Order: sequence, then C-alpha cells, then structure tokens
Amino acid sequence: MTHRNSHNERVERIANQLADSVFGLSDNEILAEIGDSGANPDQEAERTDMVLRDASEKLENLNRRLADLGHTFNQNSWRRGWSGYRNTCETCGSFVSFEISTGQMRGDALDRLCSERDQFVVRRWEASRK
Amino acid sequence: MGQMLSLLGNTPSGTPPDPPLPQASSITASPRSALLVENDKSLLRSLRHLLEREGYVIRTASNSEEGLRLFRDCAPFNVVIINYFVPPTEGGQIDCLALQQTTSMELAMEIHTIDPSQGIVIVALDYQQPGNVPRPAEAMHIPLVISTNILQFRGLLEKIEIDRAIKILTPSERLKLQQAAKFRIRGLGRAAQGKDWEDLLGEALCRTLIGAEDIQNGRHWNRKVPFVQHLAGAMKSIASLWKRQFREQDTYLVAELTICKAEGQVHSPLEHVASPLPSADQGLIEKDDETRLLAMFGDDPDATVVLNAWMDGLNKNDIMVKHGLEAKKYASAVRRIRQKVAARENSVRATNK
Repeated sequence: MTHRNSHNERVERIANQLADSVFGLSDNEILAEIGDSGANPDQEAERTDMVLRDASEKLENLNRRLADLGHTFNQNSWRRGWSGYRNTCETCGSFVSFEISTGQMRGDALDRLCSERDQFVVRRWEASRK
Repeated sequence: MGQMLSLLGNTPSGTPPDPPLPQASSITASPRSALLVENDKSLLRSLRHLLEREGYVIRTASNSEEGLRLFRDCAPFNVVIINYFVPPTEGGQIDCLALQQTTSMELAMEIHTIDPSQGIVIVALDYQQPGNVPRPAEAMHIPLVISTNILQFRGLLEKIEIDRAIKILTPSERLKLQQAAKFRIRGLGRAAQGKDWEDLLGEALCRTLIGAEDIQNGRHWNRKVPFVQHLAGAMKSIASLWKRQFREQDTYLVAELTICKAEGQVHSPLEHVASPLPSADQGLIEKDDETRLLAMFGDDPDATVVLNAWMDGLNKNDIMVKHGLEAKKYASAVRRIRQKVAARENSVRATNK
C-alpha cells in the first residue's frame, strides 16, 4: 500500500500543509492573497457564506418536512450509509435517508404521517381545563 | 404537560424558589444566554431546567410586554423562546386565545425587526403539526416546537447557535475556510471522486448540524472551540475519511472473493485479474503530478526545500532547524507556494468549467 500511494501521499502532505497554513494568516493577508490571485474577495466570501447557508437549509428542509409529517428524529442518531445519512423515527420507526451533497431525501418516512404520533401529543390547552 | 415534566425532570411542588438570576449585564456576557417568555409556571420550570442543563443563563418574562422590555435591555441572547399563548401584559386576558396568539407572533416579529439575526423559537405544544399553527406569512421562518420531545428541542437550539455562528463569520474567516477546503480537495486527488470544495465545506456543516459525537457520522461543535477552527477540523477529518473510503473501495480480502464450488473446489478470481497495484501508467500520472508541482518552484530554492520537506513529513520547526531557514524566510516561502498552487488550481478549475 505504501508503494501504491507514495506519490499521492507526498502531494497530499503538501496540500494539507497549505490548508493548515491558511489559518495562520491575518485578515489583511488572506484578503490580499485572494485579491492577488485575481478573484474578488467580497464575492468569494459571499460564495462561502452561500455554501454554508445552503447546506443548513437542505437539512432544515428535511427536518421541517419530517416534522410536518409528525415524525421525531434524534439528531444524534444519523448514521452514514451507502445512500447518505440514515435515521429512523423515534416514534413509528419509519426510515429516511439524506444525501448532503445533493440534498436528495428518500425513505418511507417521507411518504406517510407518523402512525404513532397521536399517542405522544400533549394537548396542554385541553389538559389545563380539566 | 405531564410528559414534558417527566422528560425534563419534574421539580416537586413545594420546593424552594429558584435562586435569583444574575444581573442583566452578566447575562449578555455569558457564553450562552436565553430569554424565556412564558406564563405557564410548570412549562417555565421545565424549559428552564432543560436550558440550564445545556449551559444557558436564563432571563424570564411572564408576558409579551415584559419580554420585549427585557430583550431591549439585555439583547442579544443566544435564543429567545416564546410561548405561543403568552398574554400581552401582566394579568392579561388569559382566555382570549386569538389575542394571545397575535401577541406572541407580534413579539417574535418585533424582536426579529430589532435584530434579524436573533434566534427565536415559538413553543406551541397544543398543535400536532407545524402546518396547523396559525401564524402570519412573515413569521413562517420562525422555528416552532410542537413536540415535547427533548431531542427535537435540543436539536433546534443547536441549529440556532450554528446559524448564528455562520452569520457572524467575518469575510476573512469565510475566505480562509474556502481556501482550506480547496487545498484539502487538492490533496485528495482521485479520492475526491468529483467532489469540490463546496461539497467538503457543506458536508462539514451538515455533520456539525447533525451533531453526533463521532467522526464517522457527525461532529459535535464544542463551544469552547471557535466555529472556524471547528469547521477546519471537520473538513480535515472528512477529507481523511473520504481518502480512507476510497482506498477501501479498491481493497478486498481474498476470502471475500474466493468461490467454493459444489464439488469442493476452491476457485480464486484473483488468478485471472490484474494486480491490485496501480498500473504503470497510473503511477506515472501520480509521479508526474508531484514532478509538475516541484517544477513550478524550480527557480525558488527556499520553496523547493519546504516542498520536499513537507513531502517527507517534516513540520515547520524540523524544516527550519534542518535547513537553517529563518521563520520569516519559511513564512515567505509558504506564502509563495500557497499563492502559486492556488492560482494554478483556479486556472485548472476555470478550464474544466
């Protein structure tokens, strides 16, 4: 294996050192470096922000859709599988998978309301009147 | 209500009142702070218990008017939690549901107008589904808690904190994350399998939001670590994981491929396939990549020394001692390498598009 990856690994070490070195730069230095490379620092910063917001929205869309169907997913129970992240509803056990890069969602949890949901609903307004 | 209390740990009746809250000024200085606008005492106690366990310092208001005043005095908070049925004023009309609904939404929108980046949660436990909760179109973006499930609530708090951390990233921090992501992808080579820096950064954020403790499935954000540093670490781990998975895809145990026929004969398909070692042309491509990288710095002796030393696995201090490079010269060589490699990668990316 060492032989197989030797050149790759040597180039990888350079790239990793460069990645780490970026965080040692001052604010002015990084802005200057991006500017010197011909890119627009403002546009690139905005693009990075969009990437982060987009990733957050993809996951939020999934969670909102599942909540609308009455499902309850433990955020710490997502597991990485061949088709992306997988999880099951804590209440009815239905399944969902989610691919981060594409935002694609699959699974029976998306096709139906949580069947056990009613058992767990707390109707505080009604209870407060008893 | 009973379920909420059982999940969060009920405080028996007759227990002494909660200790006095810190002064407003110390709340805003706390690493995590929450404003709770809630008139129901048992729900207030439960929410307070939950938030305190999560490390929040809490300020409470029992009506919308008091909530707004506290927000104006003590903002920003990490999160503002408003009961959907909170009364407008002290001793307000508890039975007038329509008025109370309007009040909580008005308070949420007022806070949003004052600080659009303020994380707000509306607690509406009387509804089965978010879609059933009446609210104006301009308040649809505000997250709702309709379940008494502690995990859902905790996940929501986590997301609000992370969204806030994204919003306050400076332009230079965003640029550093982008550059680091690009270099990590460069380092992956074929193992990137078509993924780019945006995929890597997006994956790092999603794993943070998913929040599981282990690297394989997610990365919990420890608040003691700056958010940028956390994302940088997440990207490094994910890149390493992708590399490992790429290798594993190409690797099989002989036992997995061996076929045992009905007659008892053992047949290995490896006898009929090429060696798993890379082909000669693949080796040449990889070597060529390394050679090209070094050739870019043929006229820069310091950069060449640093590159060769990095490839051999040396760190900054080792390089400076071994090759007698001063810190300033080392930093200067690194900057030249970074700029040239980044410029080359940008041009390759532009050509491929």
